[in-house]
Amino acid sequence: MKPLRLTFAIVAVLFLVVLAVSPLKDYLREWKHDQTEYNRLVAGLPQRVKQVDIGIRQVWVRKLDRVDRCVTCHLGVKEPALHAAPEPFTTHPQVYHDVDDLGCTFCHEGQGSATEYRESIGKVKYWDRPILPRAYLEASCAKCHREKDVPQAPILNLGRKLIRESNCVGCHKLEGGEKQWIPSLDGIGEKVNRTWLVNWLKHPRTYAPSTRMPNFLLTDEEAGTLADFLLSFKTFPEEAALEPEPSQLTSAGADQKSKLVELGATRFREARCISCHPINGKGGYVAPELGKIASKVSAQWLYNYIKRPKRLQPGVVMPRYRFKEEDLVGVVAYMESEFVDYDVEQLPPHTPDPGFYEKGRALFKKYSCGGCHALSGMGRAEETGPELTKIGAKRLYEIDFGRSGIEQTLPVYLKTKLLTPHVFGESMKMPQFGFREDEAEAIAVALLGKTDDNIPPDLIVPDAPSGTFAPQGDFGKLVDDLACLGCHVMNGRGRLVATDLSLEASQARRAWIEGYFKVPYSLRPVLTERMPKLYLSDAEIKTLVDYMEMAFISDSLDHTVSTDPAAAAIGRGLYYERYGCQSCHQVGAKGGYVGPPLDKAGTRLTAGWIFHWLKNPQRLKPGTIEPNNNLSDAEADALTAYLLTLK
Amino acid sequence: MKESLRALTRSQAWRSIFRHGLPLSNRTRAEAVFYNFFLHVHPAKVRKRSVKFTYTWGLGGLSAGLFIVLVLTGALLMLYYRPSVQQAYGDMKDLQFVVSSGQFLRNMHRWAAHAMVAIVFLHMLRVFYTGSYRPPKEFNWVIGVILFVFTVLLSYTGYLLPWDQLAYWGISVGTNMVRSVPFGLGERISYLLLGGNIVGENALVRFYVLHCFVLPVAAMVLMGIHFWRVRKDGGV
Repeated sequence: MKPLRLTFAIVAVLFLVVLAVSPLKDYLREWKHDQTEYNRLVAGLPQRVKQVDIGIRQVWVRKLDRVDRCVTCHLGVKEPALHAAPEPFTTHPQVYHDVDDLGCTFCHEGQGSATEYRESIGKVKYWDRPILPRAYLEASCAKCHREKDVPQAPILNLGRKLIRESNCVGCHKLEGGEKQWIPSLDGIGEKVNRTWLVNWLKHPRTYAPSTRMPNFLLTDEEAGTLADFLLSFKTFPEEAALEPEPSQLTSAGADQKSKLVELGATRFREARCISCHPINGKGGYVAPELGKIASKVSAQWLYNYIKRPKRLQPGVVMPRYRFKEEDLVGVVAYMESEFVDYDVEQLPPHTPDPGFYEKGRALFKKYSCGGCHALSGMGRAEETGPELTKIGAKRLYEIDFGRSGIEQTLPVYLKTKLLTPHVFGESMKMPQFGFREDEAEAIAVALLGKTDDNIPPDLIVPDAPSGTFAPQGDFGKLVDDLACLGCHVMNGRGRLVATDLSLEASQARRAWIEGYFKVPYSLRPVLTERMPKLYLSDAEIKTLVDYMEMAFISDSLDHTVSTDPAAAAIGRGLYYERYGCQSCHQVGAKGGYVGPPLDKAGTRLTAGWIFHWLKNPQRLKPGTIEPNNNLSDAEADALTAYLLTLK
Repeated sequence: MKESLRALTRSQAWRSIFRHGLPLSNRTRAEAVFYNFFLHVHPAKVRKRSVKFTYTWGLGGLSAGLFIVLVLTGALLMLYYRPSVQQAYGDMKDLQFVVSSGQFLRNMHRWAAHAMVAIVFLHMLRVFYTGSYRPPKEFNWVIGVILFVFTVLLSYTGYLLPWDQLAYWGISVGTNMVRSVPFGLGERISYLLLGGNIVGENALVRFYVLHCFVLPVAAMVLMGIHFWRVRKDGGV
């Protein structure tokens, strides 16, 4: 009997010990230690910071249905005196949002209900949304901020821009970009040669380093078949036919030809083609690379295209230059002689495989070429890639990491997928876009923000609707023909490469605008993206300026000042003595380089514009760095009078 | 001291609870057992060999003990848990992170449940190998089998309550298996269990009620009969 009692006693004691472990663990919780540390820390500070009562603290964000207990240990989040304290007590960096308003995990992700470090960052087996790494933190801004330029979120903005530019929506279902089908491939058989096309399909960046076309990693055979298929499309949209190549191009003697080339070179320079087109990487960013164009397109196509761009490529953002026939031929001759790719090896003559059409068609479909390119008879491709509208909520177990061997988190997966799509499996169809590492990260940030979180409508910052301005009549035709909206914004529509013209007639004088169309390089000669010379006729210029004076004007900017020399003298004093304008602006080649020179301000600008600009520059151009000096009306009048004398 | 004790044992309150004096004769000793609720299940006589530990291994007693542990921890867990889709998982997390010894409670409940399934099964094996299912104990064997089924059902219904992925898919698979019951009954039973066609709010509430009320109460009733019969048939 005795050993049984002894065993019973020992077992009872053991049970007691086991039971005691739990309250002991409870007593020794991590956060209790942290809070004691915090109290010790703030007691030693010179500033008076309140100590905390030991206990779990939490932020309950009712509108988001979240409870975040991060503040149990992150006690100094709102305490400026602790900006240099060690984690977890540091002050939160200055952001617009308040922790009491949105909590922590809405932006940072992780497990808000947890009260232990390891659990709270969510890198545990049973938590799907671990804390976002710092580099990807801006993803959370995208949950509510749908506007184009999110304040304080440059990475997110870059990512969204890249998503728009790369036409991701061509293959993926995704908000935040309109589908683009440019360029159309109709008539490509009459435009390019087979050598170029095969090389292009295989390595687009060899020809044009800045192209948006991704590399589909095609095999030689695939590239050849696809090229044969594409080259069989020789009809341009709406049955447009090519005019024959002008005889000067084909049959001119060497002497005549060099004259033609010389003329073309001058016109090419004057027309400022490089404002939009890069040439071997130098020049604008708006339009395709021209450095090796002669090895790509036929002279006949080039001649026809420059003559009337929209006829061969409907919707293209290229102005129709009003070249004289001779100048046009010269420009084509110049481009043909200058922009040749000397490194390219011509492919041997080749008879297409009998089944090339069917095979090429299959390839065209397989790689979803129709997502970005229109081609008659092929239809526009449906979204063939996976839907990305909720990609930020993708669970780790839904992802096939293949043999990539990368860190198994969603941000790293997205980044790797963007950099090297094929690393997760040979059969992946996504092409290689050749993003830089920071670009891939930025796109991943923009994608990670697309979660399935329920966002209360009052938190959402919507995107401003894009403008619907569509000028009609003669002016409208000119705007379309000259592709003005490719660089200028008019009443909220267009791409802002150059200036917003919505108030142009209030800003500039009629005579100046008219002159500017003829000599566009008179303004801002250091910029790359300068206004091209379009060789407009006087009648056309009159149409344009007449319309501007009717539509691009605001009565609220009317103002008249006395042109009294005395007033101008006072203004001069204000300019040089009181406000020191010369530290940023130049007059007569003296002054700073920050603002534009004001030498011809009086010729160009209206009195009303100068006056209102001086009163409140940000009203007329939000974001301009010109300071608002709070001038009185009299001072602004005097300064305006002075500036108007600069002619 | 002695005086006051005597006064206490003679008081009306004392005598209303302990209706007999000390059992001094054999008859009063027997009566003390027969007339006491807690002792009434004792058999009139016990064979020496059935008291031997290696005969029963104490498995029935262990099962009953685990059941008590489960009822106690379960009752405490019910204080913090709300069976709703919105709150179930969060409440579980709160138990883990905020409630004092909450994780201990959950673990205790979980491990006791696992252990109970195993021990009830071993108990059945023991009964089988010692031939204790033979007359006159055949009815009690049937009750025992039903209790085993209840034990398994309790485990299964408790599985859904954390409302995590494991729970969700576990119950999805289980109720899909039920669907293959023939004669068109499968669909009906599954619908009855889930309160619908999918594992959702209704299913959660139904499983909660089954787990916390229907099955435990039914099991307790059957356990009462089971124990009573064990004793009456000469077991311990």
